[in-house]
Amino acid sequence: MIAPATIVRRAAPVLACIGLLTAWQLASLGLKNDSFPTALEAVRAIPDILGDKESLINILASLRRMAIGFGIAVLVSIPLGLLMGRSRAVASFFNPLLMVIYPVPKAALMPIIMLWLGVGEATKILVIFLGVSLPVIYHSFEGAKAVEEKMLWSGAAMGLSPWQRLVRIVLPAALPEILTGCRTGLVLALITMITSEMIARQSGAGNILFNALDMGQYDTVYAMIIIVGAMGICLDAIFERVRAGLVRWSEPQFDMPLSFS
Amino acid sequence: MKVVPSKSSEWMRPVASQKPAFAIIEIDRVSQVFQTSARKDHLALSDISLTIEEGAFVSILGPSGCGKSTLLYIVGGFVSPTSGAAKMKGRAIMGPGPDRGPVFQEFALFPWKTVLGNVMYGPRQQGVRATEAEAQSRALIEMVGLKGYENFYPKELSGGMKQRVALARTLAYHPEVLLMDEPFGALDAHTRTRLQNDLLNIWERDRKTVLFVTHSVDEAVFLSDKVVMMSKSPGRIREVIDIDLPRPRLRNELLLDPRYQKYVVDIERMFDESDAAGAPS
Ligand SMILES: Nc1ncnc2c1ncn2[C@@H]1O[C@H](COP(=O)(O)OP(=O)(O)OP(=O)(O)O)[C@@H](O)[C@H]1O
Ligand SMILES: [Mg+2]
Repeated sequence: MIAPATIVRRAAPVLACIGLLTAWQLASLGLKNDSFPTALEAVRAIPDILGDKESLINILASLRRMAIGFGIAVLVSIPLGLLMGRSRAVASFFNPLLMVIYPVPKAALMPIIMLWLGVGEATKILVIFLGVSLPVIYHSFEGAKAVEEKMLWSGAAMGLSPWQRLVRIVLPAALPEILTGCRTGLVLALITMITSEMIARQSGAGNILFNALDMGQYDTVYAMIIIVGAMGICLDAIFERVRAGLVRWSEPQFDMPLSFS
Repeated sequence: MKVVPSKSSEWMRPVASQKPAFAIIEIDRVSQVFQTSARKDHLALSDISLTIEEGAFVSILGPSGCGKSTLLYIVGGFVSPTSGAAKMKGRAIMGPGPDRGPVFQEFALFPWKTVLGNVMYGPRQQGVRATEAEAQSRALIEMVGLKGYENFYPKELSGGMKQRVALARTLAYHPEVLLMDEPFGALDAHTRTRLQNDLLNIWERDRKTVLFVTHSVDEAVFLSDKVVMMSKSPGRIREVIDIDLPRPRLRNELLLDPRYQKYVVDIERMFDESDAAGAPS
């Protein structure tokens, strides 16, 4: 038998999606606006897009750019964040640089980057890289800073060198926090991917979306929004699987009860 | 590591006075000043000198905040003293090393490793083959009473169980000196007694030098060759008491022994005075 709590947990996301689509359907029927198709019309347009070879290639190209940008960002940001968390000198060198980049919308840098690197892959990947880096650096930094001193001392007593301690103690100890940063980074990768394709139109999911908008194909526009949203949900779900597998040792055992009465 | 066969009960004198005394650890006029957030200097340790002989079981006893942990960290090489020096086998202690194995008040287990993974960590780091390290570690885990918990993660253990893992993890890489900071403070009375007995057994077999910090007078007298009584504000050594009780020590015999009782009563009185002396200055 499945516990009622489990049923509720499994059904919750499905209910949320159904609720959202219903609200959309009702709103669009009520508004009767040509540029606001109903949920049903938008959903019906999805197979057309996914069935079209060129659209599919575009979407896959987007995903590829996103994966490359995300991958490079994670590979660079985790070591940097960890070093910053364990060395005050490294932190005080990089902190001001990061504080300058932090509030700048990464997409706003696109026109400048395009002047250097053109409108091709490199520009878009660089923008995705910038978008992903900051949360991953920040969370790696916080995670590394919070590592219990006595844990590092225990490692030192066993004969681990400072570098071994960074890789074999700080990294695993900070992993839950690092992965929180990566999860934020993944969502940001998706956002910067679409925005970059909106600015440098050439190919990609964002390109399909904004071309359809220009041509007034509103059901395609909304279908693309659903597809992008679904991509986000899938990527996040896959990531969550991986994350949960990596940090099972740190997950809390109990749900927080909403009330004790 | 040298293994000396356990002697029978006719062997009546403390180890330290039996063999030629070799000073394994020398603490020479060590002082430790901490900057507090109020920007005032806080003298945590003042002019501590202490010699620990090889194979001796030495307890450091004193009120909370008298600098017991700090002194242990200095010997461990985790903290370098503001002035003075600590030496191990005649060489200045410059940092931590596998010759001195700490067991911290806070356990400091690796939460991403299982019990077995934690205990195997030191031997593996020291280059012991995986199968051998595992066999040794399983034996140690059984010795500290955690058989069956090998594949548990630290978060799945109680505080007392974590402390036992921490002890096994340190014993696993065979340090010459054990530095134990209130290792049994978090345990229930029964487990505490059991682990004290186990520790004594290991110690009587391996003759490791042990520097043992504790709040408990009974525990200090029961285990030690020497009790170092500290007082606080500033942390100083108040008295060093040799505990001249026969070994191997059996708890049920010792509790009835008037000499044991006298040590406990005398040291408890001293403890009260040390605590009173430590009123904020
Ligand atoms: N990193 C630090 N910074 C500032 N002050 C410190 C620091 N570590 C210890 N102290 C101070 O030094 C004194 C000694 O601390 P220590 O932890 O060595 O005491 P202790 O004897 O081990 O106490 P307990 O029995 O409660 O564990 C305390 O007054 C404490 O406030
Ligand atoms: Mg302490």
